[in-house]
Amino acid sequence: MKTLQNLEPLQILGLIGALFFLTAPITIPLVANDFWVSIVAEIMIWGLFAASANLLFGYTGLLSFGQAVYFGMGAYGVALSIDIFGFSFWPAVLVGIAVATVTAFITGIFAARLTWHYFAIITVVFSLIFFFITVGWYDVTGGDDGLPFTLPPVFKAGGFEVSLLDLTFQYYFILAVVAGCFALMHMLLKSPLGFAFIAVRENASRAGLVGYNPYMIRLVSFVFAGFFAGVSGVLFALFSRSASAHFLFWTVSGEGVVWMIVGGAGTLFGPVLGAAFLIIVREELSLYWEHYLLVVGVIVILFVTYAPQGIMGLLKSALDRIFKREREAANSVPTVGEAVAKEGPES
Amino acid sequence: MTTSRRSFMKMVLAGTALGQGLNLTLTKNLFAKTTGEPIIIGHQCDLTGGISSWGYWHDKAAKAAVDYLNDNNGIAGRPVKYVVEDTETNAPTGARKFRSLVQRSKADFVIGSVHSGINLATVPIAKELKTIYIPQGMAAVMTGAKGNRYVFRVNSDTYSQAAAGAAWAMNNLGKNWGFIFADYGWGWSHFNEHKAVLDKLGASVGKPIAVPLDAKDFLPYLTKVAKGTDELYSIFFGSQSVAYYTQSKSLGLDKRMKRYSVICTHEAISPKDMGGASEGIYMLEYHPRMLKYKDTPHNRKVRDLMRVDPVDGKEDGSKKIIAGSHYWAVWEGIFFIQKAIEKSGWKSKKDTPDFIQALEGLAVKESFEHPQGDKVMRAKDHKAVINFYMSKVQNGEIHVQHNIPAADVESRFPPRYDFTKESF
Repeated sequence: MKTLQNLEPLQILGLIGALFFLTAPITIPLVANDFWVSIVAEIMIWGLFAASANLLFGYTGLLSFGQAVYFGMGAYGVALSIDIFGFSFWPAVLVGIAVATVTAFITGIFAARLTWHYFAIITVVFSLIFFFITVGWYDVTGGDDGLPFTLPPVFKAGGFEVSLLDLTFQYYFILAVVAGCFALMHMLLKSPLGFAFIAVRENASRAGLVGYNPYMIRLVSFVFAGFFAGVSGVLFALFSRSASAHFLFWTVSGEGVVWMIVGGAGTLFGPVLGAAFLIIVREELSLYWEHYLLVVGVIVILFVTYAPQGIMGLLKSALDRIFKREREAANSVPTVGEAVAKEGPES
Repeated sequence: MTTSRRSFMKMVLAGTALGQGLNLTLTKNLFAKTTGEPIIIGHQCDLTGGISSWGYWHDKAAKAAVDYLNDNNGIAGRPVKYVVEDTETNAPTGARKFRSLVQRSKADFVIGSVHSGINLATVPIAKELKTIYIPQGMAAVMTGAKGNRYVFRVNSDTYSQAAAGAAWAMNNLGKNWGFIFADYGWGWSHFNEHKAVLDKLGASVGKPIAVPLDAKDFLPYLTKVAKGTDELYSIFFGSQSVAYYTQSKSLGLDKRMKRYSVICTHEAISPKDMGGASEGIYMLEYHPRMLKYKDTPHNRKVRDLMRVDPVDGKEDGSKKIIAGSHYWAVWEGIFFIQKAIEKSGWKSKKDTPDFIQALEGLAVKESFEHPQGDKVMRAKDHKAVINFYMSKVQNGEIHVQHNIPAADVESRFPPRYDFTKESF
């Protein structure tokens, strides 16, 4: 087992991050407005959504502008299950995730045949098709008006009831689900399948020559990405107590891509950092200037041009530089002259 | 210098007048002084995005109302603080802004967006955060099936609009109706509400023509309009509204049938800027754009604050046209809040149940605070019953043809829900 001293700098940073997320509902109100607790909850949801885009782009080499479809399907799956079919909490959650995953599988059958800009275009087209169906199917989806619903309890036994209406419980529920998803994603990426994703990203022809089926690998990655986007959609619908056709629009996918790039594509937690950074910028700037998106645009341009590895890359290189210098200083053996100068000649 | 009796009297009179003037000013300032913690009114406003041309006026009306209150003893002697956040005319953003207003800015009351999707996403959160929400959108369900006891409506909705306009339009424009509208919630809501009223009145309603949201060429849809149609009811927004008016006129539909809509399709747009495309259209207004049709001292004074001309509603020094049928509801919403606070003795958010009970059934008289007219905030469904106006575009101006008083509307507009039975 690693001791704290043996941890890499980024792992220490990760531990600090985990400690922050675990204690946020207690620590944030001590230093800031409790509104920020719900913003941190939102950051976790959108971080998972951006990570779904990252699974495709960062690990499999597929730039998707269609993750909003599965996000929206997850959201509508849970909203319709509760509002129309009267399902209780857990069946509704499972329906939401299942609908998103099945939709990802069906659309993936077509999309996974394509790569590069053709893949990006087909995902935008899927997004537009599902968006217009959702907007037009007013009787079922509520169209542009959306579908608000009343939250059922998460657990009920006799007089005891736990519900997401308790904002602290809601926070920890979101944290648990998002942490579970990231653990699953970590296991996936460290498995042979995860390495197959990277092999297909690096060179699909070579991956084919060593026995992988690039189409199947892309399809599996696409379905997993749809699953994670679906979970984030379910969480966001529960968090906002409604689903909306806006959730399915391609610009929502675009936001996920931006968070991923700014945070650091191809890293597990980069998308969470990107989402956190840009959501905090948005929350602070939008209070004072309604055209804050111009600033966000400039930030994205600067990152893409000067820091394509994103915040994660910047952090890593900064930490490496600091710790390398320290390590070099600790490991270096002073020359005789240096030792003499420091200690003085032996008497 | 000698002082004559006449000059002495002049000095005394001038001194008295000056003293009285000073006294009045000082007295006014003394009473205008407010004390205590401010009452915070938040505004979830569409400052950017698709409805920003209306959001501008909503923000301006809210600021003017709060300034007026602060110059006149505030609310119950307490100052009023106004906080506005932009929804970007987007449902998830709008809902988040509501949370921000309540949790971050500590808003006690929130005036809502005009976008129904934003309103519906916000309504459940308003109840959770136990905050009064006065949305400006038109979807009937937010003070109906999806509503709750914390939500109140000052302006009209698709339900009351159908109740107000359909009967007059059927009697005066014809019995055979056609419907053409944007294929989303707003369009379908108008169709369904009108059909319910028209079926009862014995009118004939043709198959609805739902136009996709991204359609620019209306020819394939306009050719579906049935030949015997007497009046064609349309619901479009923004560029689609302009495209519909222009293309339906160039096809000659305006000669074959009457075109009818609600002012929302022409709000914040001058008919003069449409190049005559909307000429002859009948429109249901919720407050006349032209001052002469509601030329009361109160309405004149509020319009002066908005700095708009009496005919086109054009803002002084800009090209902006007033969202005349909507801005007043934001203005009046703030004074509804004032009256309910003063009636209930509201001090802080724990007193909100008392505030709700005070607002339920609150009747207001036409005044500077309520320039649109007398109205009652119905207790059961939390909707104000208001006057309407049937207007027509003539010579590039919107002229009222017929007044539809609130009392007439109410007979066709019974409450469908009773929120008074809902617990807090």
